[in-house]
Amino acid sequence: MKYLALVLRSLFRSKRRTVLTVLFLAVSVFLVAILQSVLATLEGFANNPNASSRVAVRHKVSITNLLPLRYGDWIRQQPEVEAAMGLQWFGGVYQDPRNFFANFAAEPEAIVTIFKEEIVTYSEAEFRDFLRDRNGCIVGQSLAAKYGWKVGDVVPLKGTIFPMDPRLTVRGIWRSRRQVDEQALYFHHKLLEESVPWMEGRVGAFWVRIKHPDDVPAFIERADRHFSDAVEPTQSETENAFQLNFLKMMGDIATIIHAITMAVLAALLIVTANTMAMAIRERTTEVAVFRAMGFTSWQVLGILLAEGILLALLGGAGGIGLAWLGAGLIKTGLGSAIPWLVDFAIPKETLLLCLHATMGLGFLSTLLPAWRAVRRPIVDGLRAL
Amino acid sequence: MDCEPIIRCQSVAKSYWRGSLEIPVLQGLDLEIPSGGYVALMGPSGSGKTTLLNLIAGIDRPTGGRLEVCGTHLNDLDDDDLAAWRATHVGFIFQNYNLVPVLTAYENVELPLLLANLSRRERRERVLEALERVDLLDRLENRPGQLSGGQEQRVAIARAIVTDPDLLVADEPTGALDAKNAEEVMALLENLNGEWGKTILLVTHDPKAAHHARVQIHLEKGVLDRTVEVNR
Repeated sequence: MKYLALVLRSLFRSKRRTVLTVLFLAVSVFLVAILQSVLATLEGFANNPNASSRVAVRHKVSITNLLPLRYGDWIRQQPEVEAAMGLQWFGGVYQDPRNFFANFAAEPEAIVTIFKEEIVTYSEAEFRDFLRDRNGCIVGQSLAAKYGWKVGDVVPLKGTIFPMDPRLTVRGIWRSRRQVDEQALYFHHKLLEESVPWMEGRVGAFWVRIKHPDDVPAFIERADRHFSDAVEPTQSETENAFQLNFLKMMGDIATIIHAITMAVLAALLIVTANTMAMAIRERTTEVAVFRAMGFTSWQVLGILLAEGILLALLGGAGGIGLAWLGAGLIKTGLGSAIPWLVDFAIPKETLLLCLHATMGLGFLSTLLPAWRAVRRPIVDGLRAL
Repeated sequence: MDCEPIIRCQSVAKSYWRGSLEIPVLQGLDLEIPSGGYVALMGPSGSGKTTLLNLIAGIDRPTGGRLEVCGTHLNDLDDDDLAAWRATHVGFIFQNYNLVPVLTAYENVELPLLLANLSRRERRERVLEALERVDLLDRLENRPGQLSGGQEQRVAIARAIVTDPDLLVADEPTGALDAKNAEEVMALLENLNGEWGKTILLVTHDPKAAHHARVQIHLEKGVLDRTVEVNR
């Protein structure tokens, strides 16, 4: 602690240089924190702990190929299966393409069983109304609140994939534990079948709840074996794996984000190393004087490293603060447009990553110039201008 | 010179290398300086006086011979031990003062004490005592940039004596000062030697500064040329 004043004073020896370096670090750490948080949010979406007992059965060729609805009968008869339903991504637009939210055509009888972790609080009477009304739909509370929907309101959707524009009556609104799980709308698959002839008896996938998570692999193996010789063979996978494949359609986001992160960190290392090299080179004589007074090379190295790490930490803390503010803005600003971001936050792991990365940067960028400075003979240092 | 020597050089040699070319600077020098002495090392540029000062102060190592300073054989110490030895036994005064520009006068003087196992209060007492000796108690919070050259050098002297070392080494301490400030600094060194018993080894080109010493040792091409007792 007795060296702290010395380290702090040295750090602000050139205020402009220090402030600019800290700003550069802060902006870079902000960028890394936001990018990594987006990645964590997407990965979290594909690693939903609620989904451990859910399996998606889809066409082996791709998720755009359809399966016969009758496959559902065989699936429901399997001993591991608690419930199953056909589920079709509808992709309808409400008023404006920017009003994006997930909307599905579903076989609704088992929906509450299959999504019991998401559809947590609901009115049974409302759900009975939904089951009775072929033009009815159910929506999550957050979605309903966003557009001001109430039970009984009509929600017109414009089909983008299917040639139909359903006018759906809100029959029920459910609540969940997380806002992100209240961002969907479900209507009757029968309505889709009646309106789109080529969808009759066909569905995009089956969502299956397995009684016990341990039985998931056995079911997947048996289902895919059973349908392997069919005209429409299946590929069964956990819901998380399915979501991951869905996300991969957007490109290898993780690789891109990691590549950008590495590029930013490399740029940070170079800039910080340059700053520290300049700062230490200017103090060649001072380092020699310290050592002449009796400071060992290790003590001087420690003081210089502390300075570099502190500089990086200041930038890192600034960047984390900016990211925290940015996350709030993203959540309120973009969360309404992109449902995945409705719970956007900087995860603890990302904060730790940024903190460790900045400390590592501070250490690495200072180590080489500091080491060279303390290894220089004292008499050479005293002669340096 | 009837006191026990504080500095004993036996056949001390020092060479530098420029590629494969050896450049001898000191060539088998024998020298004894008594405790409490005040010695000015003189000689033309390249005579080896600063090199000899650096060797005696333990910031450089001889390529030959043996050096005993303050009862310690410096040849036997590794780098860390040598640093610890310097912290205890040697105070440095440089031509350009070499104060840390971002620290106040008080903090500059306190620096060497950070190496000692002292409480903050003990450090404060010693710093104030050292600054009182150089008559700068009214400049505690001033940074080097807010001091005159003479005041800076006095702060540097306070820093050199704050650990109460046996030996003060000064390399051209008046080289950057005007005549008046130079005279004040030399008077201060003389006082430290006369009243406080510090052994002082001074490198200078300036005959006036050298006149404050009790003994002048003249070097010529890396060997001892002559020793002159100063009559004042």
